[in-house]
Amino acid sequence: MGGKVIVVTSGKGGVGKTTAVANIGCGLAARGKKVALVDADIGLRNLDIVLGLENRIVYDIVHVIEGKCRLRQALIRDKRLQTLFLLPAAQSKDKEAVRPDQMKELTTSLAGEFDYVMIDCPAGIEHGFKNAIAGAEAAIIVTTPEVSAVRDADRIVGLLEAEGLGEPRLVVNRVRPEMVRRGDMLGIDDVIDILAIDLLGVVPDDESVITSTNKGEPAVLDGVSRAGEAFRRIAARIEGEEVPFMSMEVPSLWLRFKRFIGVAR
Amino acid sequence: MLEFISRILGRGAKPRSKNLAKERLKLVLAHDRIDVSPGMFEGLRVDLARVFGKYVDIDEAGMKVRFDSTDSRLALVASAPVIRMRRGRETPRRGRRTDA
Repeated sequence: MGGKVIVVTSGKGGVGKTTAVANIGCGLAARGKKVALVDADIGLRNLDIVLGLENRIVYDIVHVIEGKCRLRQALIRDKRLQTLFLLPAAQSKDKEAVRPDQMKELTTSLAGEFDYVMIDCPAGIEHGFKNAIAGAEAAIIVTTPEVSAVRDADRIVGLLEAEGLGEPRLVVNRVRPEMVRRGDMLGIDDVIDILAIDLLGVVPDDESVITSTNKGEPAVLDGVSRAGEAFRRIAARIEGEEVPFMSMEVPSLWLRFKRFIGVAR
Repeated sequence: MLEFISRILGRGAKPRSKNLAKERLKLVLAHDRIDVSPGMFEGLRVDLARVFGKYVDIDEAGMKVRFDSTDSRLALVASAPVIRMRRGRETPRRGRRTDA
């Protein structure tokens, strides 16, 4: 059996890695795929709370690696999607609790049972990053159209390449079409031009990401939000479908009204 | 509101912050990618000036060395105002720039 192990990384913190993992994972599971999400941010776990599964944790990744429980016991099944599972990070341990070779072994055994294994990488390029990428065969880089995030993304491209993870794909998150239109925000073309890697998806800045995170229900499940639609398209592209990128045109007043009353997105 | 008025008045010649962001990023990434420290960069500049100086008199203070990135390729661009050629005839004009 050979599921695909994909690491989601960014270098910089706060660009939306965890949100991306939760949404893409839900998006893939909603398509009927068996998906395991691995929170590799040991000591600062968050994927559980974004998914709304924080109250179900009994065992975590460090318990599995230390042999205190079986892998199957630590996997938490999602409330909504039967084929989505979370392997939570440990909250009380530090990053040194896991080694890259252990991580690789873990993701390999997960890949035996799941179609997709997605790893939520911690920010930074140190130990936690090296653990997160150890077992990955593909990488998704999340960035925002800001100089700091793009610079860090570029550094990550280089580091991934050095580790044999060439051809990462890019998700540009929190794009604000109105700012791009008036030339006050880097556009998708600019970011692609600078980083010179393939585009996987464009996610508009959307308040519903915050409200859905508040509720522990990834936006991709709501069926109406713009960000959710963007993540659904990303999931489809990971599956090899050719889907047009979402328009980052500034919406007309009429369209905004229709969105407001909920008959358009 | 101000933005709206200025748009009506047809201003907009002001360089937008996006372009600034892009230029700054390109420059900083060019350096990040080759992993050159400012000290090493200065050493490169001094050495290049010495090599240029073997053939032409250059205005060392006006010499510029930088890395340019176009697509994903990197180019080393050094430009220096030439005061005069070392051997043979002098250049017709002073202060002409040569690119290497």
